[in-house]
Amino acid sequence: MNALATGAADAIEIRNLVKRFGAFTAVKDVNISVPAGSFLVLVGPSGCGKSTLLRMLAGLEGPSEGEIAFVGQTVSSGAGGVIADAGRRNAGLVFQSYALWPHMTVAGNIAWPLKVARWPREKRDRRVKEVLALLGIGTLAERYPAEISGGQQQRVAIARTIAPEPSILLFDEPLSNLDAKLRIEMRSELMRIHRATGATSVYVTHDQVEAMTMATHVAVLNNGRVEQFGKPIELLRNPATTFVATFLGTPPANLLPARRVGDMFVFNETPLTTGSIAPGHDAVQLLYRAEDVSVGAVPDKPSVVARFAEAAPIAGRTMVTAMLGELRITGMAEGYFSAMPGDPVTLSFIRTPDAVFAVSGERITQ
Amino acid sequence: MTFISTFAPSGGRRLLRSGFVMPAILVVIVAILVVAPLVRILLSTLTPEGIAAWQAVLVSPLSFNLWWRPLFNTMVLGFGVASGCLVLGGFLAWLVVLTDVPGRRLLGLMGTLPYMIPSFAAALAWGTLFRNSRLGGSAGFFETNGLAIPDWLAWGLVPTAIVLIAHYYSLAYTIIAAALSSVGADLVEAGQMAGAKRPRIFFGIILPVVTPALIAAASLTFAGAVANFAAPALLGLPVRMQTLSTRLFGMIETGQNERGFVLALLLITVSALFLWMSDRIVSGRKAFITVTGKGGRTKRFPLGAWRWPLFAVAVVIGLLTTVVPVLVLAASSLAPQSGALFSNWTLHFWIGEGGGEIAQGQAGIFRNPVLIDALWNTIRLGLVVALTTMLLGLALAYTIVQRRGSLLATILSQLAFVPLLVPSIAFAAAYIALFGAPIGPLPSLYGTFALLVIAASAHNLPFAVQSGRSVLGQISADIEESARLTGASLLRRLFAIIFPLAIRGLFAGAILVFVKMVRDLSLVVLLFTATSPVLSMVAYRYAAEGFMQFANAITLVILIVCLAASFLAHGLQNRVQKWKES
Repeated sequence: MNALATGAADAIEIRNLVKRFGAFTAVKDVNISVPAGSFLVLVGPSGCGKSTLLRMLAGLEGPSEGEIAFVGQTVSSGAGGVIADAGRRNAGLVFQSYALWPHMTVAGNIAWPLKVARWPREKRDRRVKEVLALLGIGTLAERYPAEISGGQQQRVAIARTIAPEPSILLFDEPLSNLDAKLRIEMRSELMRIHRATGATSVYVTHDQVEAMTMATHVAVLNNGRVEQFGKPIELLRNPATTFVATFLGTPPANLLPARRVGDMFVFNETPLTTGSIAPGHDAVQLLYRAEDVSVGAVPDKPSVVARFAEAAPIAGRTMVTAMLGELRITGMAEGYFSAMPGDPVTLSFIRTPDAVFAVSGERITQ
Repeated sequence: MTFISTFAPSGGRRLLRSGFVMPAILVVIVAILVVAPLVRILLSTLTPEGIAAWQAVLVSPLSFNLWWRPLFNTMVLGFGVASGCLVLGGFLAWLVVLTDVPGRRLLGLMGTLPYMIPSFAAALAWGTLFRNSRLGGSAGFFETNGLAIPDWLAWGLVPTAIVLIAHYYSLAYTIIAAALSSVGADLVEAGQMAGAKRPRIFFGIILPVVTPALIAAASLTFAGAVANFAAPALLGLPVRMQTLSTRLFGMIETGQNERGFVLALLLITVSALFLWMSDRIVSGRKAFITVTGKGGRTKRFPLGAWRWPLFAVAVVIGLLTTVVPVLVLAASSLAPQSGALFSNWTLHFWIGEGGGEIAQGQAGIFRNPVLIDALWNTIRLGLVVALTTMLLGLALAYTIVQRRGSLLATILSQLAFVPLLVPSIAFAAAYIALFGAPIGPLPSLYGTFALLVIAASAHNLPFAVQSGRSVLGQISADIEESARLTGASLLRRLFAIIFPLAIRGLFAGAILVFVKMVRDLSLVVLLFTATSPVLSMVAYRYAAEGFMQFANAITLVILIVCLAASFLAHGLQNRVQKWKES
């Protein structure tokens, strides 16, 4: 796969990593490396292997093949299993369920890992106060986990994880149990903490918005494989596969199947673009972003008539989705737009396709 | 019936009335079942005779034998059994839930079985093996085969405690195993991430999280041991070792009712005090609800070389507390000489005709009309009590859930849980106090089948409400409401939605009640009479008179009935709710 050019002692380096559970292969030949201080987001649909990958980074699972190295030091390998125990990796993990110890107070939860690491009492107390303040939960110190709200539990879980000052922070879908408003709040909170600690972070999510807003590096996973790895804008601009193209971005991009007829690629009887964009291909998939599809007829631009499905206003414009057979096409209308479901809507393709993919899903470079 | 109050927005007046009548009836029923007997037994000891009984029991030359000595024995038994159960049950639960020991399902099953076997079965089996010749009569298996058994191992506190541990440890196992499996893998992994080693994780995280369960297990097994009648009666009474429950039985048996009532009240106090204290310890701020991880995954620790040795230990414990007692009882019921378990086997004790030399000329149990009668009575008692208990439990649970937060619901749920604090033999004594004499125009119920049913239903109330609540918990309000929105009538909803969803839970609860009743001795021992004998009572009588083979054979019949009921339940459950087959 494509690794970004990085130095020899990357904070995290994953080489040819494979994880099998019996006959099922959860993680297939993953290669990723990120420099210190990065915020790596592993994003993909559920069951794509992202949590397994994270648990291998944490040292809770051993890989079947391949290697994981932290700052040049191999911590896990297919041959040696978990070489450095979970507790010896200088890594902290924030669990999806928060995993707060219910019999300890908030302060107790934060202090326990420090006790295990034999921090002297004074230093420990100081650090507990510090992280409580950092997360704004100082007043909750003496409460038990069952006595505080989900959002507060989340903060405690993060405080507990960063207290021992790990150089690597791992997050397993930490925001998935929060409501929408709190999620946005915690998103910026997490980024603030990332800046404050400087720890290299790996963050697992199925929410592409989280990936786009928080990451310095994104790996899109699908079926245990890295579909594409790179900077978020890069992935958005130059998706390597149709999976990445449709998984990332709001609103989702359109993917139109087209056949070569003479000199043109034709979608649904409508010639869309010149055949020279994909020499040697008879059938392709054309990527049009929503902003490249205009609602209403535009002179000299190819258009199709589809049936109106739904409209959602976004920032003064309206995102209009219409059905053409089984295919959903999303375009933008100026101002507000509404229609009855099933009404005919004309969609015009005002620019050339943003990318062209083979039928197999691979990108065709021009 | 009570579901009426949830529907029909029209006819608000009728709704109000029906919403009030049902709870009112329930309050009256619970008051008669639970409060009246307890108040009555207390009042009975406040009469002049009662006061004299208090004095005799607590401050008189007799009080050492009537109260202090039995109290001491009871306490020793309670603490001994509770600690034994924690050790055995805890060990087994740890092994099954938190390690990679082989055969976990088998071990888990073996851990739950002993509770199905009545404690008097284990006591009889112990006697068959360990009885020595101190009291005359035939010696047990070991002594007959040349192994001298010291008195302390044959009779009294030690064998009683062992037999009770063998019975109650499976209760402790069930509670602790449930608690351990609620400790999510995430909690353990969070500890691993902090760098803690296995002992540190065990003592720092797992143990504190399950402490409430440990305390609950200890207090329940303590209460069970303190209240148990069968084991101390069979293994202690022959050497005059008295516990509070055997003392209380002896008093009422010999017509000294007031002294018996006083002892019953004291026994209730002792048992309730400990249950209440343990409840105080685990409630309050530290009553944490475990924040479980994804899908309740648990973390298993590798045992390495200890896998098979520990498996063997667990299997031996399981065999000794389930299979071995049953085999001993079976062999004994076939052996004409009780010491020679495996020779001259005969079916005489089962189907032999009367006359002849064995068993003083008595016929085998299946030719004994009293026994056939008792078998029928037992099954009838089990079925009737199971039915009344589950109906009452469902009605109570529904009312309590519907009116959550109201004074009425609080009163009902508190009252329904009172019997939990009352040892069954003391509960039976309270019923004698209330129904032993005619009340107004009503005749005395003493010795009738009806009294047994009422007392048993009352004593099962806490369990009934609990299972009623869990059954109702499976039917969320949404499910019921979505059916209502389709326009289905109440009856239709009852049969199409509520009944199919509730049946499994109701059935499971009813079977448990049935099994409890069939193997119960301590409740029926005071309430039964010659006209309505039940199997456990007949077995106890035989054992007390020294006809061990008969007692053992009847106990086997009880076991078979219980097992058959459990298997039947298992089979039927999968049939009625196919979607739950795994």
